[in-house]
Amino acid sequence: MAEFNAAVYQNEFLPDGGTDVNAIVTISCSGAGTAGQTGSGDAGEIIIVDTSGSMGRIKLEAAKAAAAAAVDQILDGTWFSIVAGTHQAYLAYPPVRTGTGMARMDARTRYEARQAISLFRSDGGTAMGTWLTLAGRLFDSVPELAQRHAILLTDGENHNESANQLTAAIRGVTGKFQCDCRGVGVDWQVAEVRRIAQALLGTVDIIPSPNQMGAVFAELMQQAMSRGVADAQLRVWAPQGAQVMFVRQVSPTVEDLTGRRVEVNPLTGGYPTGSWGDESRDYHVSVRLSPKAIGQEQLAARVQLALGDQVVAQGLVKAKWSDDDQLTTRINPAVAHYTGQTELAQAIQDGLAAKAAGDQETATVKLGRAVQLAAQTGNDEATAKLRKVVDIDDEETGTVRLKRAVDKADEMALDTASTKTTRVRG
Amino acid sequence: MTELPTASGTAALGAAVATCPRCGSTNAAVARFCEECGTQLTPVDGVAAETGPAAGLESPITVSARTTPAPPRERAQLPAAAPPEASALETDLDTDDTVVIARPCANCGGVVGSDGYCQTCGTKAPTGRDHYTEQPSTWVAACCDKGIRHFRNEDATAVASDPGRGGRAVLVVCDGVSTSVDSDVASLAAARAAREVLVAHRPAGMGVAASRAAATASAVQAAAAQANAAVVETTAPGSENAASCTFAAAVIDGGQIVFGNVGDSRVYWLPDIGTAAQPAELSLDDSVAQARIAMGVSREEAENGPQAHAITKWLGRDSPDFVPRIGSIEVSDPGWLLVCSDGLWNYVSEATAMQSLVATLSGANPDPLPLSVSLVGWANEQGGKDNISVALARYEP
Repeated sequence: MAEFNAAVYQNEFLPDGGTDVNAIVTISCSGAGTAGQTGSGDAGEIIIVDTSGSMGRIKLEAAKAAAAAAVDQILDGTWFSIVAGTHQAYLAYPPVRTGTGMARMDARTRYEARQAISLFRSDGGTAMGTWLTLAGRLFDSVPELAQRHAILLTDGENHNESANQLTAAIRGVTGKFQCDCRGVGVDWQVAEVRRIAQALLGTVDIIPSPNQMGAVFAELMQQAMSRGVADAQLRVWAPQGAQVMFVRQVSPTVEDLTGRRVEVNPLTGGYPTGSWGDESRDYHVSVRLSPKAIGQEQLAARVQLALGDQVVAQGLVKAKWSDDDQLTTRINPAVAHYTGQTELAQAIQDGLAAKAAGDQETATVKLGRAVQLAAQTGNDEATAKLRKVVDIDDEETGTVRLKRAVDKADEMALDTASTKTTRVRG
Repeated sequence: MTELPTASGTAALGAAVATCPRCGSTNAAVARFCEECGTQLTPVDGVAAETGPAAGLESPITVSARTTPAPPRERAQLPAAAPPEASALETDLDTDDTVVIARPCANCGGVVGSDGYCQTCGTKAPTGRDHYTEQPSTWVAACCDKGIRHFRNEDATAVASDPGRGGRAVLVVCDGVSTSVDSDVASLAAARAAREVLVAHRPAGMGVAASRAAATASAVQAAAAQANAAVVETTAPGSENAASCTFAAAVIDGGQIVFGNVGDSRVYWLPDIGTAAQPAELSLDDSVAQARIAMGVSREEAENGPQAHAITKWLGRDSPDFVPRIGSIEVSDPGWLLVCSDGLWNYVSEATAMQSLVATLSGANPDPLPLSVSLVGWANEQGGKDNISVALARYEP
């Protein structure tokens, strides 16, 4: 049985008239078990592979190997399908046209799925919205599924759909399944694919070279199989009259959840967190209160994790008004760290967007700020990736120059990794 | 209070429920620990009798109105262990009064969650430890309050008395040092341990006032030692920030008052205005301010100067010296015996000023409970910068 714990890091003390309470709530899960094996319902996995014409022979062969490697990681008993995507979506396995669109994994279906994958041909365009819609319908065809996860591989831009069509497709499947997205090569759009991954509570990353695909897919599927807790909801209670300024996941990646609130009751909002393995995630919650008199104490938020209707962990965020400057001026290191990391993610994305738009001045300022923040918050991975895009004159002041020649893959890697955070240094 | 339902009207002091000072839950009179939070409760007469060295000579006095199942004389004849009628009472209480009713939020009337905060407005529900009153008899009462600026009530009171006016009463106040850990737990344990000693050591049948005063003085010293032991028990050896608190106790028996203190909690004798007697601050603070007064600095300057609140003696694991300074006086005029923490006297230090404040707030009402509550309320109106403890006994010859 999975166990959850919540720990709160904050400065509870507010000065006279102070209103804003910030806290980092770490939620940890242990004993999660294996997907679909905990008795709480079956797990389903769909592998979606781009088979558009642009894949060509080399990328397609690598994609076939990767899909097969992922199939090998799916545990027996798990429901699964293989989808081939072009400007349309095709159900490559199981070979059915109606009824249940997924098969249970066993030795026979594994063999048949690998055969189906080997028959992929590279042809046609790209319409990722149709792939997502088909995956949603396939999951829907198996009512006993409690946990639904997909891996999506693409290599190019979404040429055969308008942005609106993709948005509508994403909206249609949001909350139905989680999706980890990977782009191979450098011809795909990070922002476009990130949009899918964020809505579907998944990750986005670049696979610069086709020969890395197999390992990436196998690892993704292993991870998915190790998430024994099918679905959990983060709940934030705030007192009457208070305003929840934002709710963000800040570790392992920055994901703003504020806009994804569903009402649990008038004072409590629910935010999706998807499935959990043995892991811990950090959330930054910011609440604005009406100020109280010095010496008053009140609860600013109850931050809970719920499985269905059951609350399995709770952290209390408090506010105490004090006239002791030594207490009220302290900044909690966890709050400071993640505030910096969130700004870092934004600075990288804004800087790269400005660079792509030809606005060198803004790009230099933003990426300079990113270099500064990465140094301050000890995010060495971000610093290393930034170094491939800018020449750093002074880390402390954030003085940088844009590199003349930048490897596109390095720039995309910086972009996809922008939301990855480091933990507070001890 | 006398409003509690009892078997007979005049036996009001025998009302048999104990309100936990930490969480406010109602417990059976004989309960030694709170059902709700495990806090040690006011000991019942049986406990006091157990600890009394010679029950025949030293009869225990009524410990607390809410915890005493029978009038004192009957109890004195009972064996030291739990009296049989107490268990009968416990059974009755189980079916009647022990139901814990969820209190609504004091701020908005909402439901208080199990985490101690209102489920609507988030206000922290005051615990029984934040504010409580005690009234063992019609002439003795205490009120202990968190104040406004502090987040915890580290003060504690413990009082006991004979039921009849002019009898014997015990008043104890301990003020936890806020920079030490668990000082709220320590101060309450200390005050109760001291009270237990003072209740048990009752000089009886002794001839002259002087010998009675001497016997009580040694009891006060023993009470301080026991209180110190209770504080020491709160923190583990080797703690860098051991729990510590002050100690002020007064025993009034007839017109004789014996008092002792460690730290800056005080004992005042406040005869009614209009009598010939002068009000007096009986105790002497062990504080930097007092040391400066002794050096010739004016009281006002010293009590508002640097480190005015730093105390030079205290109870606790790191205490260099916990022997109280002890004294006694004989009084013959009606008035109030007051033991209080600096949460009150910070706003009214001089004995004459304290006398007029008490006169104003009490009117002509000799009931100590409303007066103790008004004094706490008054200190809160002045800013409530510290926890406030007020313990009072009314003397009328």
